[in-house]
Amino acid sequence: MKEYLNKGIKEVVKQFPRIADILDEYQIGCGPCSVGTCLLKDIVNIHNLSPEDEQSLMAKIAEVIYPGPPVKIPEPARRQGSGSREIKYSPPMKKLVDEHVLIKKLVALIPKLIEYLDLESDQGRQLILDSIDFIRSYADKYHHAKEEDILFKYFDPNLDILKVMYEDHETGRAHVRAIVAGVEKRDKSVVIEHLNGYQELLSGHIKKEDEILYPWLDRELSTSQVGEMFSKFNEIDKQFGCTAKRYEEVIKKLEERFKIEPSLSSMTSWVKSH
Amino acid sequence: MSNFEGCPGSKMHDFKKKDDQENGLTIKVASQLKHWPIQLHLVSPAASYYQGADVLLSADCVAYALGSLHSDYLKGKSLAIACPKLDESQNAYVEKIKSLVDDAKINTLTVMIMQVPCCMGLLELAKKAAAEAKRKVPVKYLVVGIQGEILKDEWAIN
Ligand SMILES: [Fe+2]
Ligand SMILES: [Fe+2]
Repeated sequence: MKEYLNKGIKEVVKQFPRIADILDEYQIGCGPCSVGTCLLKDIVNIHNLSPEDEQSLMAKIAEVIYPGPPVKIPEPARRQGSGSREIKYSPPMKKLVDEHVLIKKLVALIPKLIEYLDLESDQGRQLILDSIDFIRSYADKYHHAKEEDILFKYFDPNLDILKVMYEDHETGRAHVRAIVAGVEKRDKSVVIEHLNGYQELLSGHIKKEDEILYPWLDRELSTSQVGEMFSKFNEIDKQFGCTAKRYEEVIKKLEERFKIEPSLSSMTSWVKSH
Repeated sequence: MSNFEGCPGSKMHDFKKKDDQENGLTIKVASQLKHWPIQLHLVSPAASYYQGADVLLSADCVAYALGSLHSDYLKGKSLAIACPKLDESQNAYVEKIKSLVDDAKINTLTVMIMQVPCCMGLLELAKKAAAEAKRKVPVKYLVVGIQGEILKDEWAIN
């Protein structure tokens, strides 16, 4: 069993596809992960199941790997707050989760941006570029800077789960570059393809962070590190001044426009007046 | 007949351990206390050991209930103790905690209380002070059972 616990999830699932379904039963969605280098044992640890659930999950996995007489499975860990479905974040982690709320709002607007996509008029193009400005300034510079430059720095950069997060951030940046290039060339299909790509990527990415990564990192950080991180985040907030407030307004207005008059003419007139 | 059994904070319990359970334990546990005084009325937020510190604000009884207080919770922290039930002039406590946050610029505040309901007062007092302070610091709290078990360990979001 130990041998497989120390293998990357992709390798394990490739050899035993049934294990992806078993993990799914316990709301562990790592089976189809495209990177898949996280070790099976780390995946189980990160998801913080109750000791009872962890034991039954391990037993089911063991049955698949070693059919026949039961094999010895490791004792489940008794972690503080394990098995609880309610997530309680530390104050700095809560800040990041709150920032996700605004990013998710932009992500939710992407289908509308696609539906009313107009690359022929200046205003139509500006609308996409304004959304890109939000992604670059708020989601990337402001939010991802806190993640990459502060939070992740407390951990070993070789941790597989962090590698997945860095990779997601990079993929997001590549989508953004492709969207901007598509706008310049007025190539609708490229813009749509990468807006969709960004939407799919970010929805999954934020879910992973909110539900898996942050709670796990919170359990690993000391009280003192949490305090230090909190004041570093406050420093960033100070540096960015009213940026956060301004982008909240941008999203609010964008939402209102789409809801009230979801027509391109009203959209573009909003861009003009903005 | 009424079911009321009086104040849970003063109710008597006898949990004498089986004699040999802890006998024979002769290891000396090192103290993790790194300053004096510690009583909240007596401490000064200007003291060097509070500057930028992770502060533990503990209810008096916690130290007696929790065997591993020194190594598990006091280590690396600066301490203040108080009793929210019996101490007087508790408004001064609010001011002092505010000063720890604003003037001593503490890094975090950890409040440890007993499970008895009256002990909640210390957490409320700390939360009030943290909310009124100009600076913001993470506040966490732990609830200790009367036999030393940790019943809760959470961040208090104001
Ligand atoms: Fe991220
Ligand atoms: Fe994030």
